Formats: sequence, structure tokens, C-alpha cells
Amino acid sequence: MRAGVDIGGTFTDLCIAGPDGIVAIGKALGTPAAPADSVETVLRDALEDQPFDGGDLTRVVHATTLVTNALIERKGAKIALLATAGFRDVIELARERRPDIYRLDVWRPDPLVPRHLRFDVPERTLADGTVELEVDVEDVAALAAELAERGVEAVAICFLHSFTNPANERAARDAVRRAAPDLRVALSSDIAPEIREYERTQTTAASVFVQDRVVRYLDDLEARLSALGAGDRLRVMLSNGGVATARDAADRPIRMLESGPAAGALAAARFAAFNGFRDLMSFDMGGTTAKLCLIEDGRPLVTHEFEAARTDRFTRGSGLPIKTPTIDMIEIGVGGGSLAHVDTLGLLACGPQSAGADPGPACYGGGGTRPTVTDADLVLGYLDAGFFLGGEMALDVEAARTAIKTHIADPLGLSVEEAAWGIHRLVNEDMASAARVHAAERGHDATGLPLFAFGGAGPVHAFGVGAALGTTTVIVPAAAGVMSSVGVLAAPLATDGVRSKLEPVDESTLERAEPLFAELEAQGAEILSSSGLADEDITHERSIDMRYVGQGFEVTVPIAPGEDLRAAFEAAYVRAHGRTGPDVPIEAISWRVLSRGPDPDLRLVAAPAGDGDARKGTRDVWFEDGYRETPIFDRYRMAVGTQVEGPAIVEERESTTVVGPGATARVAEDGSLIIEGDA
Amino acid sequence: MTLDPVTVGIAAGRLTSILDEQQATLVRTAFSTIVRESEDLACGVFDRAGRMLGQSHSGTPGHINAMATGLEHVVNAYPADTLDPGDVLITNDPWMTAGQINDLTVVTPVFRGERTVGFFASTCHAPDIGGRLLSAEASDVFEEGLRLPILKLARGGEMNEDLLALIRANVRTPRETVGDLYAQMAANDVGARSLLRCLDDLGLEDLEAVGAEIRRRSEDAMRAAIAKLPDGRYEATGYSDGFGERIVLQLAAIIDGDEITLDFAGSSPQSEHGINVVLNYTHAYASFALKAAVAPGVPHNDGSFTPVHVTAPEGSILNCRPPAPVASRHAVGHFLPGVVLAALAPVLERHAAGSSDALWITVWSPFNLTLFQSGGAGAWSGRDGRNSSGFPSAVASVPTEVFELSAPVVQRERSLRTDSGGAGRWRGGLGQTSIMSLREGDAWRVSALGDRTTVPAPGADGGHDGAVGEITVDGSALPTKRLTSLAPDAHVRLDLPGGGGVGDPRERDPQAVLRDVVDGYVSVEAAKTLYGVTVRQTREGRVLGPEDFEIEENA
Repeated sequence: MRAGVDIGGTFTDLCIAGPDGIVAIGKALGTPAAPADSVETVLRDALEDQPFDGGDLTRVVHATTLVTNALIERKGAKIALLATAGFRDVIELARERRPDIYRLDVWRPDPLVPRHLRFDVPERTLADGTVELEVDVEDVAALAAELAERGVEAVAICFLHSFTNPANERAARDAVRRAAPDLRVALSSDIAPEIREYERTQTTAASVFVQDRVVRYLDDLEARLSALGAGDRLRVMLSNGGVATARDAADRPIRMLESGPAAGALAAARFAAFNGFRDLMSFDMGGTTAKLCLIEDGRPLVTHEFEAARTDRFTRGSGLPIKTPTIDMIEIGVGGGSLAHVDTLGLLACGPQSAGADPGPACYGGGGTRPTVTDADLVLGYLDAGFFLGGEMALDVEAARTAIKTHIADPLGLSVEEAAWGIHRLVNEDMASAARVHAAERGHDATGLPLFAFGGAGPVHAFGVGAALGTTTVIVPAAAGVMSSVGVLAAPLATDGVRSKLEPVDESTLERAEPLFAELEAQGAEILSSSGLADEDITHERSIDMRYVGQGFEVTVPIAPGEDLRAAFEAAYVRAHGRTGPDVPIEAISWRVLSRGPDPDLRLVAAPAGDGDARKGTRDVWFEDGYRETPIFDRYRMAVGTQVEGPAIVEERESTTVVGPGATARVAEDGSLIIEGDA
Repeated sequence: MTLDPVTVGIAAGRLTSILDEQQATLVRTAFSTIVRESEDLACGVFDRAGRMLGQSHSGTPGHINAMATGLEHVVNAYPADTLDPGDVLITNDPWMTAGQINDLTVVTPVFRGERTVGFFASTCHAPDIGGRLLSAEASDVFEEGLRLPILKLARGGEMNEDLLALIRANVRTPRETVGDLYAQMAANDVGARSLLRCLDDLGLEDLEAVGAEIRRRSEDAMRAAIAKLPDGRYEATGYSDGFGERIVLQLAAIIDGDEITLDFAGSSPQSEHGINVVLNYTHAYASFALKAAVAPGVPHNDGSFTPVHVTAPEGSILNCRPPAPVASRHAVGHFLPGVVLAALAPVLERHAAGSSDALWITVWSPFNLTLFQSGGAGAWSGRDGRNSSGFPSAVASVPTEVFELSAPVVQRERSLRTDSGGAGRWRGGLGQTSIMSLREGDAWRVSALGDRTTVPAPGADGGHDGAVGEITVDGSALPTKRLTSLAPDAHVRLDLPGGGGVGDPRERDPQAVLRDVVDGYVSVEAAKTLYGVTVRQTREGRVLGPEDFEIEENA
């Protein structure tokens, strides 16, 4: 029996699964002041109804927004930065770029370390790794002692070219430890050993900034789990889609940055694979944003850079760059609560401003008068005014119509229905556009990819998004409301290792790199065996970041033994960028190993106990050019194998699935609703 | 078909995301640090007549807006219907495009079946184009390097190998210069592919109807923004170092209903040195400033240019005649936005002080290494100026680790310059200091295109000017904008200027002054003499926080 727990923005979700499938799901309000509280509550509540207790849980796998929030809210340790003399301002100077050429207001967040806590340390390593000036360890020790005395809690050490030769950073660390054993220390050569000093410094500072908070939190959580009889069972979800022991996670905590969204994408991959789909796009649409993630051959794509704590959430370059393996997602500023408006060009636009929870969409009756996506969906008949959140909350159709009429239909000269359809369609097109860009930037084509939809608004829009993408298949899982907590259960134990070392690519490159890869694999194996994995269960996946000599960005190429590196690179390059580059040599710069255990042997199914008589009635629902009388189904009563013809609406507590005309929806063995249309 | 506002909105959104795809491909496949690290580039999509319908999000105003006006020349030379699939065009003519021959524009027609439906283009700054190294020393454009009229870079899918051979033979960086051309072509292809899919999805024949709508609506929005400003004639004068002789930039901004004329009559005459600006580039930076100030949300396209008129007398520094030398035109052109903002100050909500303006470009020889750096930005009323922030350009610096890996140059320092931000109630942004040395070898040279070394960024409303910049070699002044030989053990120090302050510094919140002292943005002396705040350090040590300083009352 395994438990997955995800702390999200508002709720803490739980899923318990065993060999026969999902046995319990739970939801509790988050407790931001003491996050472990809600985890304990949701677990205790669920266990009360079960024939087993905490001691029967072999794993408790956890995802949390703790790190993300700590960076956004600047709640972390008092940290200092030791930098190569002359370069303490790199963390503030960054790349000097304004994120948006016309919006002079948009800027980065303030640096994580104020200038009076940034120190120049005489030392220098040159580009080829030669140590030109050894670090003065006595000087560092004296500084460390003073820092500790002055109440500084942690230190980030980031020296130039340490990714090539970490000797000076390590000597400095040893000096700090000697002089001030209680200071936490993070080395840039451990946290993000990759070229580009600003990004590496920022990542290292962010990691040590949140570390103490993470450690205390995980300790607290383990203590509470012990009380439930599951003390040593805790595993933590990482942004890369793997899990780690609490100790390993706390060692480089920045890897936990995007653990919740990563879990959602992982769940998508797992459910889709169960139903025979290995290449797809996951689509998670909530109240204020939507997230898309490309899944290739059963695994979500991973990126090695991420931007946290943006000052302007949807503007690239307005946040803190973080170099850590992260499941590669694109976030779009449109969700159910996003406001539709007429923009400066007199065109219909939607988001990123949102009505939020207060006042909320006009139809919530909470005082909102401006139209949202949810209002449009209600007017179009996709949502049922009497069955929102399972009927807990009545929706006001007239308020929605008035809001749309006043703010959209009248200014644009459209009928209310046309305006609502315009909003719905625009949202779908925005999602499809984002999906296309996301796929194109990664060398893929989103056209025709099945969509895996979840989140409150995902299943409402998936059919339309799919249509815009030329997709004929949409999968809507059961338990869509707690996908992240399901997803953590699907994650294997995994750890990443990376080294940057510039090498020309030729026939003997792989041979020369063997010791380096072997070292990374040994490190990975050590972490995983100390996490309890048997040696024979550990596998390693190698990849190399390569580029044409002279380029600045690399293509990550998975490498099998004996691979022809040039051919592998050029194939990956053409896929990513359309055509090969000029006839110049190729070089390798970063060497990566993902060490992982096997996928957990779990059947993540939640087959509904439907009695087959699922039809609730009919209502008028808008498709393309007019309302049609459309049958409404209760998802909980649809048995495995049930098939309905579109147009149809399938309702459940957390969401509503739209099945368009010409499409067919059937309930799969795992409870997923699979919608297939004609191409 | 009817073009309802929903479809136009969807198409406009699609074009924006397609341009992001184009730019992402360009940056990721480029070879020069200038394109891949600093993003000195622009991407755009154009209709059959060469009218710009959209541009990518980042990059440089000079490139984007100059490309916008420049495509007209390209389409005149090669009308849409005379091109074949697989054709790619190229030019670097300064007067037709971005004002210097280092800027290479690559244009790819998009074919739908047999017919051209539009163009994708990009302009990138090449690390070398032959001739003299980038400086202001040439006496005409012919000395500045290889000038390419509008030519075919590829014909029917086949690369024009003769042209590539000619370029390779004439430039110091054949791999980067030609590699970037490949990147530009690849990026245009990505744009074209996505555009065709977009047209299919939306059931559009070409970009003409939807483009006309986007242009019309942008023009209307721009007119509405201009109409909100009170009519009148608003003047300002700006100065730049020039090449040994100060350059005067004189502007009269004439707002008349929903149109505006930015007239630079009275500016300095054309120079003998390579700091001359073509009208295309003058237009680019002047219109950029206007839009950033009054309508940052309106998309930039052919339509939004319509109500904005930019003029400068022919033969002046801002509308030079061929074959004037133009290589360092940014050292004058980058000052235009500041002058526009200063002129419009009476009608803008927030007053801004002057910024460092011109990007500092240093070219290190014989390594063909080009570095970009930014000084401090001016304060706004209500906000301190940003430290070392690109304005008006939005290009990025090159990481120390990246360029040290590609050239035997060692950077000894990159730090903020204490006291360089102009004092004010809102302080100007700080400039930065860099020190460069040679790792090995015996001969090296630098062309340092720095500015504001004699003319500071002006303060506003009683705020002080920012510190001027300085370039020295082992303590002695280094001449700017020309190639200078350096001793092997020389240390070149670049002190970039600071931005101007806004408001009387004695009205600055004393706690803000204290914080500035704690962080070393402002020295104890400057706090006392300029801000009237006497800050006393209460403890000795290396680790000093706000608790270790206090303000002496009645000092």
C-alpha cells in the first residue's frame, strides 16, 4: 500500500493505492503556517476508513509547493554569498537585459542576497580549469566565523569556472565548515555545475536559501508519520519526475521546486500509457492558469532550466533562472476564472487577469460583474447551473449573460451566445497555440497528439483544444481532481548527475568520457542504494548536451553505448531546429546521467462502480453555430465499457467533460473517459 | 469570408506565438555570442507588400523597427510574385535596413502552393563583416567592410555558394558570420511552417485581409493614445560624446490631434566619422520611445507606425547621405529615446531622468570577441533607476565564463560602481566597472565604443546627473570608438556611466539613504554631501548590516 500526498495552492490531496488499484482519495484545506499539519490530517482521515493502518504504508510519497512559495514570498534563511573577488555583483547584474522591450516597468525580482552580504573572495580559476590563484582558506575561515557570529545562517559559494574545476570552492567549503560548523554551505559546483555564472549563482543561492526550511519541514513530517507508524517511509517528489529519500532531497532542495506539477504530468503519462497512448500532451486547466506538458514514449519531457518567482508571471526573463532538471511544462495565463475583455485593438482577449476566488466569475454571485471563461462556459450550456461542484454551489446564468453582454457582446456587436462562443473558442485557440509553440521549441509537432485533460476546467475545454490541434483523442482520467497525488505514486526513485566539460566530438569521445560517466553512475547508484534500492534494480540513462562548435545552446541527446555521436546529434538537431547547421565540428559540453529505480508496480485504476443508467436528462448546449438538445450523463454511474455518442455532456463533482458532435466517449477499464472523434 | 473580431484576435495571437517560435530557433541555433547570448536581433512577419504585421518580443528596437521600414526595399527589388519556393534574400545595406553593415537581414518568402503569402525576416548583428573592426574611424562606408546589396542567399533551395564563399573570404569570423545566416534561415523556416498551419486552421487564403485588420486596429489604437496627449510643440535637446566633437540632438515633438511628428531639425550635421545615423534607424528609435511611453500594449506593426512621422534634415547626423561612415551609429541613435522622453515629459505622467543610453560595445582583437554592456538607467519619479540595465536596447551581456572560454581574455572585475547613480529623491541606476586583461599572447587591441564619457545622463526635477563613464588602460585614458593597441600586461578598465536622479536628493527618505550606504550603492561621503544624511558606522568588521549604521541627527 502506498500513499501519495500533494500540497497544492489551496488543497492538500491524498491518494492511497495498492496492488488492486486506488483504494482511497482525500482532500483537505492546506495549512500554510504548518504545512505538515494538513498532510497528517488528510492521512489520518483516510486511514480511519481503511482496514489497514499507517504501518501498512510501504511508501508515503510527497509533493509540495514549499520551495516555490519560499522563493516567491522570500521566506528563507539569512544567506551570504562568497564570490570570486570582483564578481560579487553578478547575482544582481544578471544579464542586464530588460525582459520586454516596450514595457519599461517589467524587471527581475531583487537579488536573493543583498549587497552587504555578498563578499569578494580572492581566488581565481581560469576557463581551462587552471587555478591561477588558490583560495585563501584562512581568510575564508575568518569571514565564516564572523558571518556565523552576525547571525547569517547559510552561505552560497560560487566561484568562476568551478563547474570545470571545483577545487577552490571545495577548499572554501572546508574552511567554512571548520570555522563555523553550523553554517549551511552550498557549492555551485554541486548544485548546478554548468557554465554561465549568473544562472549558476542564482540556483545555488536559491537552493541554500530554502534549505533550512525544507529540512525542518521534512523532519516535522517524518516525526508525524512516525506517530502514524510510517516513519521511514517518506519519499519526496523532485521536479525531474523522480522521487528521492527525504535526506537526498534536502541535500539539494532546489530540485523540489516544481514537484507538484511534475507529479501531474507523471500521472498523465501513466494513465495514458495504461490506455495505450505513449505520445501525448497533458493539459491541466484550473482557475487561473493552464499547464501543458509534452509526453514522449511514456515520459514527460524534461528541461534543465526553469524560471521561478517571476515579477510578471507570463513574461520570460522576469524571474530567477534555476538550473535544475524539471519536467518541461508551459504555463498559460488562462483558467476558468480568467477575465474576458476587449483589448486596445478592439479585439476579444482573455486573461491573464483573473477574477480569482473573490469576487470570482459573475455567475458565482459573489459580486463579480466582469465576464470570465466560466461564465461563457455556463452560457453555452457546458456547465450546469444546478450541478456545479456536485450541486454545492448554484450558478447564476443571468449574471453571466449580463456580464458578457455588457463587456463583450455589445462592444463587439455580437449576440451574447456568439460572444460566449468567441470566448470559449479563443481560450481553446490560445491553449492550442501554446501547445504548438511548446512542441515546436522542443522539436515536436503537436498536431494530432492525444490530449490528457484534467483540472477543473480541463475536461470542459479539451475537446475544443483538441479540435484546434487536429486531435481526435481526448483522455479524461477518473480522480482528475487529485491527479498530482496520484502522480507521485507513479514516480520511480531517481537522481540526476551532471558535469560540464568541453570535449570535441569524434570517434573516441565516448571512450574518453567513460570514466566521467562511470563516476556519475557510481554517485547515482550510491544515493539510490542508500535509499534502499537493490543494485540490480538500478538503471542509468546517459545523455550528452552537444552543439556545433561556436553555438551557445545545446541539444540534449540520449546516448546508448557505441552510439555514433555525430549522427545522433544531427538527427536530434534536425528534429529540434528543422535543418542541419553548417559544416563545422561538433562539441559536447554537459554530460548527464539519470539513475533510476523501476517504475512502482501499482495499478493506478479507479474503476467506477457504475450501474449503467447514467443518463440524467438533456439540456441545450451550444456547438459551433447553435444550441442543440444534448444528453447529460452522470460519470459516477457510467460502468466500464459504457459508450455515449456526442454531442454529450458528462458531469462529475470536480469537472464536466464536453463530448462534441461526431465524437464517441467510452469508459475505459481504469475509469478513464476516452473520447475519440473523426479526424 | 467575414473577419469577425474573434477570428482577427485569434490570428493576431497566433502570429505572436509564431514569432516567438522563430526567435527561439534563431537564438538556439546561432553561433555568435552577439546573437545567442546577447540577443542583438529582431524577428518579424510581413505581408506580400512587405508591411510588418508583427514582431518578436525581445531584441532591439533599432533592428526591429528598421527592418519594418526596410522590407519595403526588399519587396521593391524582388516583388513577391517574382520569387520561387526555396529562395532566400539577404542584404546589409545600411540605408535600406538597420544602419550599419554588421547587421545582416535575411528574408524568406512563405509559399502556399505557388503563391507567396508573406515573408519572415530577421536582422542579426554579425560579429564581423570585414573592413575595419567595428569603430568610428572609417571615413566612408566602403572602408567599413563588405556591403551586400539585396541578393539571393539561396535559390530554389540551393545555397548561393558563390556568395557564401565571398562572405567567408572577407570576414574574420567566417564560422560565426555564416553560421548565423544558417540560423536565420532555419528560424524563418520555422516561422513559415507554423504560419501555413495557422492559415489552414483558420481557413485563411493569405495574410492580406487579416493583416489589414490588425494594421487598421493597431493604427486606431495608436491614434487614440496620441489623441489623449494635449496638442502642442514640445522641445528637448540631447547630447552625446560624438567623435571628438559633441553631437547635438535637437527635437521638436509636434502633437496634432491623433498624429505626432518627431522633427530633428537643428541636430548636428553629418560627421566625417562613423557615428552617422540613417533615417531608418532614427525612425526606429524615435518611434520606439514614443510607443514605450504612450502605448506599450499596442502591437508594433506597420499600422502603429502610420500616425508617427519622424523627420530629420538630409545631410544631418540623423539622416546621413551615402557613402557616410555609419558603423557606430548606435552611439548616436541610442540617445534618441531619451530625447523623445525628455521632450514629452510635460505630457507624461511620470518624469524620467536621463539614462546611460548608448550600449557600450567593445570589440577585442585579434579574438573577434564582441561584448555588450549597459550602464545605469535613469530614475523615474517614484522609482530608483535600475542598475546596469539595457535601455533603450534590451540586449544582454555575455557571461564571463562564456567569453573566457572562447578567447584568452580574463575579466578581473564586473561590479557596480559606487556613487555613479545620479543623486535624487529617486536615485539614478548605478553603472558598472569591468577590468579586462590578457591571459596569453603578446598583441591585443580593443575598439571601445563607449559614450557618455563627457556628457552625463541628465537628472530631472532637481535630481543630479549620473556619473560619466571612463575608459582607462593602467590609469591612462583610452580613446573611444577607435582601435587601440594594448600591451600584453595591460589592464583595461571600463567604468560605465550611471543614470540621472529625479527630485532633490535632500528630499530622499533618510532610511533609503542609509540602506544605500549599507549596500555600498552610495558612499558615506556622498550621503553626507549630496543627500545631507550623516551615516555613522557603529561597529568595525567585515560583515556589516543595517544594524551597524545609524543616522546622526542634527548633523
